[in-house]
Amino acid sequence: MTDRALQDLVLRALADASFRASSAWRQRALADPAKVERFARFLARHFYYERIVHFFKYSGALARVTGRRPEGTLRGAEFEALLPVVVLGSRQTARAVADLVVREVKGGAPVASIPYRDDLLRYEAAMMVAEAGPRVWRENGKGEEGRGTGVPETAEGTVLLDLAYDLPAVLPQLLQPWTEVPQAPPRPVRLLVARSPRGRVAVARTDSAVARVVELADGRRTLEELARAAGLPRNELEATLAGLTDLGAVRFGTGS
Amino acid sequence: MALMVGAFYNPQLGAELAAAKGIDHLAMADPPAAHDAHWPTIRERYTLLLHDYLGQLSEPLDERSIERARSLATLYRTPWIAEHFQCLHTEDGRYNINYVFPPLYTDEFLERFVANARALQARLEQPLVMENIPGFFDVKASQLPEPVWLARFFDATEVGFLLDLPHVWLEAHYRGMKPEAWLAQFPLEHVVELHVAGVEEDEDLRGPWIAPTAPSEAMLAFLAHAVTRCPRAKAVTFDAFSPSLTADVLFRSVERIRGAL
Repeated sequence: MTDRALQDLVLRALADASFRASSAWRQRALADPAKVERFARFLARHFYYERIVHFFKYSGALARVTGRRPEGTLRGAEFEALLPVVVLGSRQTARAVADLVVREVKGGAPVASIPYRDDLLRYEAAMMVAEAGPRVWRENGKGEEGRGTGVPETAEGTVLLDLAYDLPAVLPQLLQPWTEVPQAPPRPVRLLVARSPRGRVAVARTDSAVARVVELADGRRTLEELARAAGLPRNELEATLAGLTDLGAVRFGTGS
Repeated sequence: MALMVGAFYNPQLGAELAAAKGIDHLAMADPPAAHDAHWPTIRERYTLLLHDYLGQLSEPLDERSIERARSLATLYRTPWIAEHFQCLHTEDGRYNINYVFPPLYTDEFLERFVANARALQARLEQPLVMENIPGFFDVKASQLPEPVWLARFFDATEVGFLLDLPHVWLEAHYRGMKPEAWLAQFPLEHVVELHVAGVEEDEDLRGPWIAPTAPSEAMLAFLAHAVTRCPRAKAVTFDAFSPSLTADVLFRSVERIRGAL
């Protein structure tokens, strides 16, 4: 085994609690297990602190009304209980931590002044979950971020959110100074949340035609088949796919 | 030559930093936000040091990362460019601990860092400096003491040393050594810049760790000791970058650092 591979084992042990508890790791006796465990717990709290503060920043801005700061989750018993199965950066752990944050914030004071609170928490949780998953750290010439020539496939982690309130209209105001809670217009919106291969999360308003493309792009349908199924002219489909690719919502397979 | 004394650019303190006196430089951990109204003044007033995450040099940086580094260096007009002796994500991108973490101190990693740092340096217009990273635990697969590994790296490259003193202090603490004795083993003749900050108790680690807080008197005394052994040092930076950092802590820390030198 190369030293680089050994380093990867140490990194995996720090990131993946189940691997850290396995005999495959323990038998190697590469480091003091108690110290590794302490450092791994430190890393887990740090890792999710950064993400909660970033993705739940709007709920953070509303904390003086709700009485609950999202990052308070990290000192709770439920987060402690999650630590033995945490895998830093995995979508499953991101979903579990986001669920804890939602419960933490919902457990605060009554929020008649924030009628869009549930929509906001769904939006923030969706962002945090979308950001998770393996990422491309460096280009390797395989065109992970290119358009390719194969068939389009909706990228893992891409989600469509149907909300009762127009959140994009209120979010910037929440981060500015305010005395009265800024209100979101009560009108339905559909948002697309996607992540680039390098981990950049993007949100865009979307319509039913774009949503159909996202739902139908399964990596098997050709462009012709997708255009027929989505009810779009070919040129309109290509323009839609170009926009979705830029957001990271759709990737083109290489066919190999 | 007098040492420059500075801090990190913390955007929430943009207004205070734009009007501040007594700060010679600002290190930039993130690019300026598009809506940062203070950025034009900051850029005009200060010497800016590029201290972003460019990539881990256990692998060669890709073209996109190199271009990003070059672009930021031009934007900041930085006199040198900093990176870290770190390896924090797996080669396949599946695991990422999102926190500075040192490589194994082995010959293989030394070859990797030397080759990749040389390749990066060749593409930059400014000198590259590399910062030491603390280990909370030893990995038995490491073959060399960290100071020896670092000395070999600096001897094999023309890269400068960004000496992070709290990192040295913490390693000495967990080894049960005097910080000055541990520091003496490092290749201080290559130091271009020093970082200094506070440390705080961490519940998970059950001991002190890096924190964006003011340096203690003991840490300042350690700094005063260290600079006398770094003949090529040009700058000392208060190493605190956090949304929770207040103007009071930043300005008082810089003032105390200046007083200690």
